[in-house]
Amino acid sequence: MRKKHTLLNHIIIFVLAQIAWLMLMGIWIYWYVSNYIIFEKVGDQLSPQIVYDGTNVFAFVGGLVLLVAIAFGMSLTFRHLNVQLKLTRLYDNFIGNITHELKSPLSSIQLYLETFNTRYVPPYKQKEFIELMMKDSQRLKNLIDSILEISALEQKRVSHDYQVHNAGELMREIIADSVEQYQLQPNILILEGEADCKCVADINALRIVFNNLVDNAIKYSAHELQIFIKLHCNAKKVVVEFSDKGIGISVPDQKNIFNKFQRIYNKDIPNVKGTGLGLYWVKEIIKNHGGLISVSSEGRNKGTTFRIELPIYSVSKKRYTKYLLKITNKRKLETEY
Amino acid sequence: MFEENLSKSKILLVEDEENLAIGLEYNLSEEGYYVKVAKDGREAIKIFEKEEFDLILLDLMLPYLNGFEVAEKIREITPQIPILVLTAKKSTEDKIQGLELGVDDYMTKPFHLGELLLRIKGMLKRKMWYKTLTASSPVYILGQNEINFENMICKTKNGEIQLTKNEAMVLRYLIDNEGRVVDRKELLENVWHLNPEIETRTVDNFISRLRKYLEPDPSNPIYIKSIRGAGYIFTT
Repeated sequence: MRKKHTLLNHIIIFVLAQIAWLMLMGIWIYWYVSNYIIFEKVGDQLSPQIVYDGTNVFAFVGGLVLLVAIAFGMSLTFRHLNVQLKLTRLYDNFIGNITHELKSPLSSIQLYLETFNTRYVPPYKQKEFIELMMKDSQRLKNLIDSILEISALEQKRVSHDYQVHNAGELMREIIADSVEQYQLQPNILILEGEADCKCVADINALRIVFNNLVDNAIKYSAHELQIFIKLHCNAKKVVVEFSDKGIGISVPDQKNIFNKFQRIYNKDIPNVKGTGLGLYWVKEIIKNHGGLISVSSEGRNKGTTFRIELPIYSVSKKRYTKYLLKITNKRKLETEY
Repeated sequence: MFEENLSKSKILLVEDEENLAIGLEYNLSEEGYYVKVAKDGREAIKIFEKEEFDLILLDLMLPYLNGFEVAEKIREITPQIPILVLTAKKSTEDKIQGLELGVDDYMTKPFHLGELLLRIKGMLKRKMWYKTLTASSPVYILGQNEINFENMICKTKNGEIQLTKNEAMVLRYLIDNEGRVVDRKELLENVWHLNPEIETRTVDNFISRLRKYLEPDPSNPIYIKSIRGAGYIFTT
C-alpha cells in the first residue's frame, strides 16, 4: 500500500515539475516575443544602438534546447525510478519466496532431528526419515547453489566449459539425464526428430536448462504430465521445442516470464512454491550460448512450448562461438599451468 | 482430567510440503492422535466437509486455496474448531489477518517439536474445557441478549449473530471473571495463548465487536466496560 502511494507521489511530483517548466517556457516565450515586437516598433527611435541581433536568437533557441534536454533528462530519471520501484517490489517477493524455500526444508530436517532426539523411532522408520532429511539438505544445497551461480553468471565469473558437440547426441544425452534425475516414466517424455548438426555448448549449463524446464513442466501440470521434445536443425540454428500439457501461460505473463524474480500468481496453479529465478537462469544460459529462448501457449490449460535456438557451429554467429571456445581453452591453459 | 479423551482427538493436517507432512503425521500419531493429511486447500475443505475433526494444523502457502481462505471456509462450517497455523510467514500483518479470521494460534517455521505438541495439547484441552463448560450452562442471558455458547449464536434485539470461536471465548472468559478487571495481556494469554507482546490491538477489535453485538449503546457500554490503563471489566 505504501509503495502504491510512493509511486503516486512520484507521478504527482513529475507532473508538477513538467507543468512548472512548461509554464516557465511559456512566460519566457511571451516575454521574448513581446520585447521583440517593442524593439521592432520603437527600438530605432529609442536608441540607434539597440538593434536586434543574432546573439538573442541564439540565447532563445539555446535556452529552448536546454529546457527540452532537462525535460528529457527528467523523463529518463522518472522511467529509471519506476523500473527501480518495480524491481524492489519483485525483490521483496523474491525475499518472501526464498525465505519460504529455505525454511521449509530446514523445518523438516529440524523436525526429524528432534523426533530422533525425543522418542524411539523403529529402524525402518529411521531409514525413511534419514532419506527425507537427505532430500531436504539436497534441496537446500540446490537452492543456495542456484542463487550463487546466477550471481556468478551475471558477473561473468562462471568458468564455462564450451565444446563443439553434435547437437542431436548432446540433447539426447542431456534429456536422458533429466529423465533419470526426475525419475520420469518412459512414456512421459517423448523425444522426436533429429539434429545432425554441430553446436558450441557447455553440457553442464544446458543440463540446468533442461532440468529447469522439466521441473516447471512437473510443477505446472495439474492433471497429466506429458512432455514432448522436438529436435531439428534449420539452415543456421539448432532448434529444440519443449512442450508440456500443463496449465499454460497467459499472453501478458509470457512477456515477463523470463524476468528475474518474476512469478505468476494464479489460483489454478497447483504449485505455489518457487523463487522466480529458474527461467531467468535458463534465459541467461541460452543467451550466453549465443542463442534465443521464447515461450508460447495457446492459453489456459492448453500447455506451454519453449523454443530454444542455438547457433550452428561455423555457420551462424561464427565470431561469438569462436570466442566461447577461445575463453574455454584459455581457462584450461591457465588451470593447467 | 481430559488426558484420556485428548489422545483420541482427530487432527486435520494441511501441509503441502510432503517431507514435513510425513514427519508431523508420524509425531502426532505417536502422541495418540488420529491424523488425516491434506496436500492443498481444496483437499482440506473436501476432507473437512466429510469428517469431523477436533483441531486443524494449517500451513498458509498452499496450492489452490491459501491457508487464510481455508480458515475462513472452515470457520463458516464449524465456528468452534481450534485452528493452529504453522507457516514460514512471520510478518505481523499475516498474524493479525490470521487472528482476525479466528485462527487460534500461530507458529512460524522452523519450529520446535516439543512446543508444537504442547500447544496442540493446550488447544485441545481448551476445547474440552469450553465444551464441558458450555454443556452445563450453554445459554447465558445478558439483558435483551441470549447467548448460546454451544452453537455460538447470539440472539440480540437486532437479530441473530453468529459469533466466531474467539469472540465466544473472550465473552465466556469475561463472564467467568465477572466483576474483576481483566487486562488485555491476560485475555491474549488465556484465550489466544499468545505472547502478549505481539498485538494487544487484536483484543480491542474483539471487544469493540462484542459491544456492537450486545450493548444497547456501544459507545456507552454497560456490560463490557473499559478501565483506563487496566483493561476490561464485565458487569451485569
